[in-house]
Amino acid sequence: MASAPNAINNSANDLGNDLAIDLTDVHKTYGRKIRALQGVTLQVRAGEIFGLLGPNGAGKSTLVKIMMTIVRPDTAKGTVLNRGVGDPVALAKIGYLPEHHRFPTYLTGRQVVEFSGAMSKVDRPTRKKRASELLDRVGMGDWKDRPLSSYSKGMRQRVGLAAALVNDPQLVVLDEPTDGVDPVGRREIRDLLIGIRDEGRTVLLNSHLLSEIENVCSRVAILVQGRLVAQGTIDELTSSSRRYEIVVEGSAPTWCAESASVRKIPAGQMLSAGIQGESCRLVFLGLDALGAQPILDRLRSEQRTVIAAQTVRESLEDLFMRAVTDPTTGLIYRPGAAT
Amino acid sequence: MQTVAIFVGAYRELSARKIFWLALAISLLVVGLFACLGINETGISFLGWTFESPMFSTNTTSPETFDKLLFVNLGVDWWLGVLSTLLALVTTCGIIPDLVAPGSIDLLLAKPITRTRLFLTKYCTGLLFAALQVFVFSTASFFVIGLRGGAWEWALFAAVPIVTFFYSLLFSMCAFIGVLTRSSVASLILTLLAWTIIFTINISESIVNSGRIANQMEATKIESELANTDDPVDEDKLEELTGDLEKTLANRPTWDRAHFWFFGVKTFLPKTTDTLKLLDRWLLDGASMPSRNEESERGPQQAFGPKRVKRGEFQRAVKADEQSHSIWWVLGTSLVFEGIVLGLATVIFVRRDY
Repeated sequence: MASAPNAINNSANDLGNDLAIDLTDVHKTYGRKIRALQGVTLQVRAGEIFGLLGPNGAGKSTLVKIMMTIVRPDTAKGTVLNRGVGDPVALAKIGYLPEHHRFPTYLTGRQVVEFSGAMSKVDRPTRKKRASELLDRVGMGDWKDRPLSSYSKGMRQRVGLAAALVNDPQLVVLDEPTDGVDPVGRREIRDLLIGIRDEGRTVLLNSHLLSEIENVCSRVAILVQGRLVAQGTIDELTSSSRRYEIVVEGSAPTWCAESASVRKIPAGQMLSAGIQGESCRLVFLGLDALGAQPILDRLRSEQRTVIAAQTVRESLEDLFMRAVTDPTTGLIYRPGAAT
Repeated sequence: MQTVAIFVGAYRELSARKIFWLALAISLLVVGLFACLGINETGISFLGWTFESPMFSTNTTSPETFDKLLFVNLGVDWWLGVLSTLLALVTTCGIIPDLVAPGSIDLLLAKPITRTRLFLTKYCTGLLFAALQVFVFSTASFFVIGLRGGAWEWALFAAVPIVTFFYSLLFSMCAFIGVLTRSSVASLILTLLAWTIIFTINISESIVNSGRIANQMEATKIESELANTDDPVDEDKLEELTGDLEKTLANRPTWDRAHFWFFGVKTFLPKTTDTLKLLDRWLLDGASMPSRNEESERGPQQAFGPKRVKRGEFQRAVKADEQSHSIWWVLGTSLVFEGIVLGLATVIFVRRDY
């Protein structure tokens, strides 16, 4: 069994008090064996789009469901919208779209949105007005009086988004909001999320689509086997993986292959050196262009031809893969919760 | 606001189901059948045809009474008490399993409403079907009886709370099984099974109780005859009476013991049959309807019953014993059962992770 994942970075300490979600020490065990969440701490700033990532069974949905009172935690300290977890006043200000939602298909789009509003205690005139506005906003204006049974999956998703927004929420929790939506629709939903954020609302986005998260989220968290292994802005999380790559003709210099020599290079550490035909690639982790200059100088002094030299930053996918990989074994953690 | 929304949602859900409209249509059809049926001097009339009957004619029963008998015997006991209830169970058995279905429950639990309130409100919406059904039936019957017989019997509307309560007893079990199994089919089948078991126990208790009363009446009658025998030389009769008395008294502990156990079990179960019999008490009294037992007074002696006691006298004694259980005993013990079942279902619903 792979060992428990270690935190890559946790840079949420400087967030101050302006937090929409501030959870600490969230534990949840299903039955007696399945430890879905093991002391998760999550902080989401007000007014940001926050991405929650993790492989299947990592505990993302459990965490969201605990916030929405669908799952009862073993322990959950902290606040959501400055109130205790499950506080009805806070729930009235949250819009939620679950992953596999099942709206009654005999209802029309308008009825779904209005019902959602009524359950969130929105008064009748307001919810009727907002239902029309929101259905127009998600591109369902022409379909609002037709039953859901005639909708495609993507259309139902749009109606679900409108239903999540009908109570004018401060916090919007979306679980796979673009599931089943075509590329054009995804773009529209992405724009909608940005619009929601620009209105001052907080969005917690749970999605498997890393590109989607990368495009819209200002901060992300990665959950693996019920533990939070990374949390911060994408820049923060990938900065530690920042590296400088130099491609030189011929084989790798011996001083690069010697760890003692590598350690002498300021602010850098050699990650790998691989032969590529007549040249080789030298990879220095955590090194920027300035820090690479002494290495380049030395290479030139040795009459080596530098073919390419560039700063390389990890993509979110790289970060994600690194987070879900056991550093000791190099194996990907097995899917599912810890047992 | 939330309660209204859930009820409106429930109405939309019901009205989206064909069986809802089918059941209402059949209800109106049954009332339409009442409207077509009538009595004249020679017997029962139906759309111009007359079926001769010595029992039912204007010579023996008034048209108004005939209408009321139809309502009680056919409409309430059979349509509302059995067939309509079956349709209602088929229609509503999915309410709780649909509520706890993944994707559906998430949307509701994320709202600012307590789980207990959500579950109990949903449970009440399940009763909406039965209540609507009985209301439509009673209203239509009210007008048919009123327009034909000239009697505007408001007491007919007593059927609405009584039948709805009767249905609530069954639906509480349906809800419990639904929340436990999350399956509509299991809810329906197991509820019907439970209903059958309860019905069987109720009927068995009724039969055993009749036997016990018959035994007591027989013994009393023999003792009375023995006390009043003026002819001491009629040895044969004396011997027969003494033998019968010994046999009757010997059987008494068996009847008493059997009744003790059946009544004990029945006490803890919902009184579905007795609840519907409340309609007899209230509707017959309230609407001045004749008792169904009046006819049987004149009929032949039953095979089952005391030999030396008149049938009418025996039936009155049985009925008096049945009615010795107060309305509050019938409703109260049933409510306790319903409360326990519903309480357990609520606890499971509230404590579960979805």
